[in-house]
Amino acid sequence: MVVGEMLEEVEVLVIGAGPGGYVAAIRAAQLGKSVTIVDKAELGGVCLNRGCIPSKALISAAHQYEAARESAFPGIESTAKLDYKKVQEWKQSVVNKMTGGVQSLMKGNKITVIDGEAFFTKPDEVRIMHENGGQRIKFQHCILATGSRPIELKSLPFGKRVLSSTEALELDEIPERLIVVGGGYIGAELGQTFAKFGSKVTIIEGLDSILAAFDKQMVRLVEKNLKKYDVQIETKAMAKSVEETENSIKLTYTNQAGEDKTIEADYILVTVGRRPNTDELGLQDAGIEVGEKGLIKVDAQCRTTNPNVYAIGDIVPGAALAHKASYEGKVAAEAIAGMPSVVDYRCIPAVVFSDPEMATVGLSEDEAKKEYKSVSVGRFPYAANGRATALNATDGFIKLIADKETGVLVGAQVVGYEASNLIAELGLAIEMSATLEDIALTIHAHPTLGEMVMEAAEVGLGSPIHIVTR
Amino acid sequence: MALFELPLPELGEGLHEGRISKWLVKPGDKIEEDDAIAEVENDKSLVELPSPVSGTVKELKVSEGTTSVVGDILMIIEVEGDVPAAAQAQADAAKAEHDANSAPAPAAQTQQPAPSADAPTPAAANASVKSSAHDVLATPGVRKYAREQGIDITNVTGTGNHGKITKEDIDKFVAGGDQTVPAAATDTAETAAPTRVTQVSGEEVEERVPLPMIRQAIARAMVKSAYTAPHVTLIDEVDVTELVKLRKEIKPLAAERGTKITYLPFIVKAMIAALRQSPQLNSTLDEEKQELVLKHYYHIGIATDTDRGLIVPVVRHADKKNMWAIADEINDLATRGRAGKLAPNEMRGSTISITNIGSAGGLYFTPIINYPEVAILGVGRITEKPVIRDGEFAVGQMMSLSLSFDHRVIDGALGQRFMNDIKRLLENPRLLLLEV
Repeated sequence: MVVGEMLEEVEVLVIGAGPGGYVAAIRAAQLGKSVTIVDKAELGGVCLNRGCIPSKALISAAHQYEAARESAFPGIESTAKLDYKKVQEWKQSVVNKMTGGVQSLMKGNKITVIDGEAFFTKPDEVRIMHENGGQRIKFQHCILATGSRPIELKSLPFGKRVLSSTEALELDEIPERLIVVGGGYIGAELGQTFAKFGSKVTIIEGLDSILAAFDKQMVRLVEKNLKKYDVQIETKAMAKSVEETENSIKLTYTNQAGEDKTIEADYILVTVGRRPNTDELGLQDAGIEVGEKGLIKVDAQCRTTNPNVYAIGDIVPGAALAHKASYEGKVAAEAIAGMPSVVDYRCIPAVVFSDPEMATVGLSEDEAKKEYKSVSVGRFPYAANGRATALNATDGFIKLIADKETGVLVGAQVVGYEASNLIAELGLAIEMSATLEDIALTIHAHPTLGEMVMEAAEVGLGSPIHIVTR
Repeated sequence: MALFELPLPELGEGLHEGRISKWLVKPGDKIEEDDAIAEVENDKSLVELPSPVSGTVKELKVSEGTTSVVGDILMIIEVEGDVPAAAQAQADAAKAEHDANSAPAPAAQTQQPAPSADAPTPAAANASVKSSAHDVLATPGVRKYAREQGIDITNVTGTGNHGKITKEDIDKFVAGGDQTVPAAATDTAETAAPTRVTQVSGEEVEERVPLPMIRQAIARAMVKSAYTAPHVTLIDEVDVTELVKLRKEIKPLAAERGTKITYLPFIVKAMIAALRQSPQLNSTLDEEKQELVLKHYYHIGIATDTDRGLIVPVVRHADKKNMWAIADEINDLATRGRAGKLAPNEMRGSTISITNIGSAGGLYFTPIINYPEVAILGVGRITEKPVIRDGEFAVGQMMSLSLSFDHRVIDGALGQRFMNDIKRLLENPRLLLLEV
C-alpha cells in the first residue's frame, strides 16, 4: 500500500463517464444512491470528445462548405473560402459546451467526479491512479462503462501519419491526399467529410462493398455521392504495409485482382473497428468473467458474474452504440436500486451520417424473410415527396418491413436527407407493435418528409396515393 | 458417509411446484428408504413425499408453508456409504429441470450471500426478470408493468390486436383470471408460511386467511367456466321407484362382493347411453378454430367433496366398464381423493361430469360446468312424493336432476332431449340391460 492512500467507501461507483457511465450515474443518483464517477480522460467519453459529437460538427461544416461552394439550388451562385482552423475551433466549442453540460449535470445530481484510472484489487474494491498519486475505493455496487478504443493494425501502427479517428478529428489542416483503411461507418463518414473539404480520398475495404452491413440499395446512393467527389473505392483489398517519408506516407495493398499496389498520401486513417477496454481493469481480481472478443458476460440486468458489479455499453455484447450504452446504464442503475428493470428492447436504431444519411431499425428485408413466413415491404422514394423535392433532396427512400400475417412492423430503413431523424418514429412504431395499418392511418403533417413514412406503409398495404405501383 | 441433497421431485406431469405443508421428520431423525418425510401440497392434491434413501436427516432447507419448484433442495440427508445411483439420477433430473426453468445464473446468485456483506438483495432477482421484447407483443410500458407485478409476461394471453398484451391483461392475470398459473406471483405470495392475520377494530373482528393452493385452483377454474360458457340449467325430476327396488335387491350381492353400490354407476351408464344419442354434450369447443371437438370416448368426472375443497376424479372409459367396476372405481377415487392421495392425472381429462348434492340433502341447484367440458349433470336427493300412476295416486321415489350446459354449443331442446334419455333409463332400469 502506498503511504498516504486513503480508503473511501461509496454506495455506487461508476467507472467511465461516457454516454453509458454518466447516464447510469445520474439515474442511480435520482434513485437516491450516493454516486461517485471516475474517468481517466474527460467527462462525456469518446462520444462527446472524440466520436459522435465532434464528427457530426465536422460533417455539418463540410455540408455547409459544399453548399456554399456549389449550391444544389439553381440560381444561387457563390464562392466559398475555407478556414479549417476556425472550423476546428468551432468544433471544439461544441465539444466544450456538451462536456460542460455533463459537468453541471454531475454537480446538479450531487455526483462526485474523480479524474483517474481505476482497476480492481478485490471484488468490492478498486484502486484509482491519478496525478496526485492514488486512492482506494470500496463500493457496494459498481457499474463498469469503460467503452472501447480504435483497433490498431499490426501492419499499420498508429503514428504521425497513421491516424485513428481520434487524431483525424483533431487535424488542423485538410490533407491533400487521404487514405481510409476500412470502409465501415466511421471510415465512410470521415472519408466523405474530408473529400467534401477537398481531400483526394481513397477507401481500402476488405469486403465486397463499403458499409457492408447495410442494404445494397442504400449504399449505392452513398457511393454515387462519393463518386461525385472523386473518392476511389478499392473493395476486397487488403492493406499490407506502410512506408513513411518525411512529407508523405506510402501504403502498399493487395487489390481485388491480387496485385500489389502502392499509393502515396499525406495521412492514412485506419477505421477497422473498435475493441472493448476490458484488458487493464484487473477484472480477474474481482471475479468478473470475460467472454468472446474481450466482452464482459452479463445477465439481462447487466449484472456480471460478480453480483455487485454491472457492465454496460461497448464492453458487453451487442452493437457498440452510445444510445445502447445509455439505455443499459439506466437498466443497471435501476437494478441496483432494486427495481425489476431489464434490457428489454425490440430494436435499436443505427444511423450513419454519410451523404445521404442512412438509418436502420429492427430487421432488414433479408433478415425478416428468414424469421417470418412472409413479409410485406413498403418502399417509398424521396422523389415522390413534395417536401423532399422542394429541398432539392430527392435521392433516397424509406422502406418498411412487416410480418405479412399480422401486419406488425418488424424493421425499417431510411436513406436520404434527414434519415437520422426520420428513423425515430419507426423505432417507436416497432416498440409499440404498430401495424402498417396503424402507421397508414396516422395523419402525418403536410408537407414534410415524415409523410413518406405514412406513404411507405400504404405501399406495404397496396394502396399508396402518391405513387403508382402497377 | 455421503450427503444427499434431496430436491423437490416432479409431482406429476406438468406440475412444477408444491408447498411443503408439513414436515414429518426433523433433523437427527433416522429414516428408511420410502419413509414419508413431508406432506407436499399442490393445486391438485396433497401427497406424502417418500425418501429415496436411508440415512439421518441432517438439515431441513425449507420451512413449512414454503412453495418450492421442482429441483429446489428441500433437505439434506446423511447417507451411510455412497448415495444409491438411482436416487442420485432422480435428484439430478429434478435439478436439471430446475436449471432449465430458472433465470440466468448470475441473477440467481443474488439469492446467496453476496461478497459485499450488506448488499441488498434486489427484489428483481426472480424468473420474471428477463427480456420479453421478442417473445410477446406488448409495448415497453406494459412489459415494464408486468415486471413490476412480478409476472412473466410470456404466460399472459393478450386480448389486444393480434394478441397484443394490454395493461388490463396483466391486471387480470394478477387477479387470477387466466388459466395459466402465475408462477412468479405465487412464488412471492407464498414463500412466507401461511399465517392468519387477525385485525380488531372495536367490535368488528376480521381475519385474513391465505387461500390454500387447491382453493386458488378451484377459484380460477370456476371463474373461467362462469365467464366463458353461458350456462343454462334445466331442472327435472324422475320417478326412480324401480331403481330403488333394484338397488335394494342388489345390496346383499354387493355386500358379498365387498362393493358399496350407490346410484352413481346407474347414472353414469344412463348418461353414457344418452350421450350416444346426443354426442354434442360429450365435446369441447375450440374457440380459436371455431370447431366442436366431439369426444368418442367417455371419461366421466365425479365431483367429490373433500376437507380441502372440491376435486373431480375421473372414471376413464366408463362405457367399457361394467357397473361393478364403475362402483369400485368411484369408491376408490373418492377414498383416495379425500385422503389427498390421488395422482394429478387421475383428476384430468374428463369429458363430462356428474355432481351429487343429494348426499348432502339438496334437491335442485345450478352446477358450474367443469370447463372446458360443455355439460354437467347435478343429482339431488331422492324423496318420496305423491305421483299419479295409471290414473291413481301412488308414492313415487323422485330423484331431482339439474343439467347445466354451455349454450354456445347446446340449445335448450337438445339439452332436454338428453335429459329425457337419462330419465327414461333411470325410470326403467331394465332398459339399461340394452346399454351394457
